[in-house]
Amino acid sequence: MTLRRLLLGLVFPVALLAAWEVSVRAGLLSEDVFSRISRIVPALLEGLADGTIVARTYETLAAALFGWAIAAAIGIPLGLVLGLVRPLERLTLVTIEALRPVPSAALIPIVLLIFGFSLELDATVAAFACLWPVLIVTTGAVRGIEPRLLEVGRALGYGALARIWHFALPAALPGIAVGLRVAFGIAIVVAVTVEIAANPRGLGYAMITAQQSLRAEVMYAYLFWIGLVGWLINVAMIRAERHWLRWYWAARGAA
Amino acid sequence: MAQPIFAFRDVSVRFGATPILDKVGFDVAPEEFLCLVGPSGCGKTTLLRVAAGLIRPQEGRAEFEGRAVAEPTPELAIVFQDYSRALLPWRTVAGNVELALEARGAPRAGRAAEVKRLLGIIGLADHAQKFPLQLSGGMQQRVQIARALAQRPRILLMDEPFGSLDAMTRQALQDEIARLCKAERQTVVFVTHDLEEAIYLGDRVVALEANPGRVVEIVEIALPRPRDQLTTREHPRFLEYRHRLFGHLAKKEAE
Ligand SMILES: Nc1ncnc2c1ncn2[C@@H]1O[C@H](COP(=O)(O)OP(=O)(O)OP(=O)(O)O)[C@@H](O)[C@H]1O
Ligand SMILES: [Mg+2]
Repeated sequence: MTLRRLLLGLVFPVALLAAWEVSVRAGLLSEDVFSRISRIVPALLEGLADGTIVARTYETLAAALFGWAIAAAIGIPLGLVLGLVRPLERLTLVTIEALRPVPSAALIPIVLLIFGFSLELDATVAAFACLWPVLIVTTGAVRGIEPRLLEVGRALGYGALARIWHFALPAALPGIAVGLRVAFGIAIVVAVTVEIAANPRGLGYAMITAQQSLRAEVMYAYLFWIGLVGWLINVAMIRAERHWLRWYWAARGAA
Repeated sequence: MAQPIFAFRDVSVRFGATPILDKVGFDVAPEEFLCLVGPSGCGKTTLLRVAAGLIRPQEGRAEFEGRAVAEPTPELAIVFQDYSRALLPWRTVAGNVELALEARGAPRAGRAAEVKRLLGIIGLADHAQKFPLQLSGGMQQRVQIARALAQRPRILLMDEPFGSLDAMTRQALQDEIARLCKAERQTVVFVTHDLEEAIYLGDRVVALEANPGRVVEIVEIALPRPRDQLTTREHPRFLEYRHRLFGHLAKKEAE
């Protein structure tokens, strides 16, 4: 059943890749721009074999992870507080809504002045971009907590901080987990973008270098690789969610 | 009557301009099983929340051992009416019961055995590792009762704990609670809108009327213990109490 579904899911991408290959070979698409699968796959395997792709992946993922962790470390506590203390949320709403639409790329020149070309440049810009989903999702999840639960905490004699830790945080966790997963996807996208635009490191820079040295097949190899890595991380995070939040999924018949 | 362990002193509660409780006053004796009956919406839950220190009345006060109850205290345990929202969905059955042990700082070593004992008492020994959302309503309510017992309260406040159980389970639990509370010399304030349940369980029955909630009658229940589902309910005095109290419920329910 799952195998069948997997095979079905592969039909469309395989057909697309085949069409791509055929179109380039037939001269409908320029090979300089589009390369072709029969060149891209060897380029990918070669890059993996000689370790360059792994090294670039590490640079990008380390930066994305760092930025994501910063966003989580700020966004979750802040979201908890804003979700629990209504007046505070109203007080900060305008500030948050004004900062949120600022394109993260606009931060590149500023952060560049502070950190130079470095992991921190990727990480800071990624952190800014992922802060918002984490913050907004956490605030919403906390606001949606069953008030009775917090009252149970009160009745059992837990103080305000203990109630946040033992009641509010776990109750909001399924929501927060979704926010964190979405945010990690954003962190990777932003890190690669910063590398393409400015930062000479990681997968994004490798892509732009390949493009500039007219090696389209290597550029596409990186592109595919980024997609694959992002997909794998998403799958792993969904699995972790189902494991750590068993109680949530068990009740929804998907343990 | 012995020195009261608990008392309501002219408790008045308003929500907005609507008076909900109007100068409700009565005592609870140590080791007494006191039942509170009244039509739906007359303020039984509200009164119990005042008792637990979860809300403060506009006038009057609840007193535990002569001191005003201003905040929840571990000496008073409350079993909420809406059990499905009062359990922590991320904790197992055993974990929910253990919560009360953690709250009162019971030594870690003895906790598992105590949880097991309590789950045995309420007949959930086989479900210790399930999550609340995987249980039936009646089972969830029993978990809540076990949690309240784990708190080892001086006074057990119960809000229609058996309201949603089928007749057989309900009677079994009535007998279990009656036996347990008398054996442990537990003081109980038990809210129900089932008059027969109140007479069957209570040492005294306090009848409230609605709009606003007031005490209309307090009846001493002089039925022998241990009580029996058949003979007690057929006892001439049982019928007499029922007749006497029935009017208060029927009159107001009809409005
Ligand atoms: N937070 C609140 N705000 C406004 N009104 C409330 C609030 N809580 C309860 N009430 C009102 O107070 C009255 C008494 O409610 P309460 O829940 O104490 O009744 P009850 O006797 O427990 O009823 P039931 O038997 O249906 O549980 C009801 O009319 C209800 O609408
Ligand atoms: Mg009620």
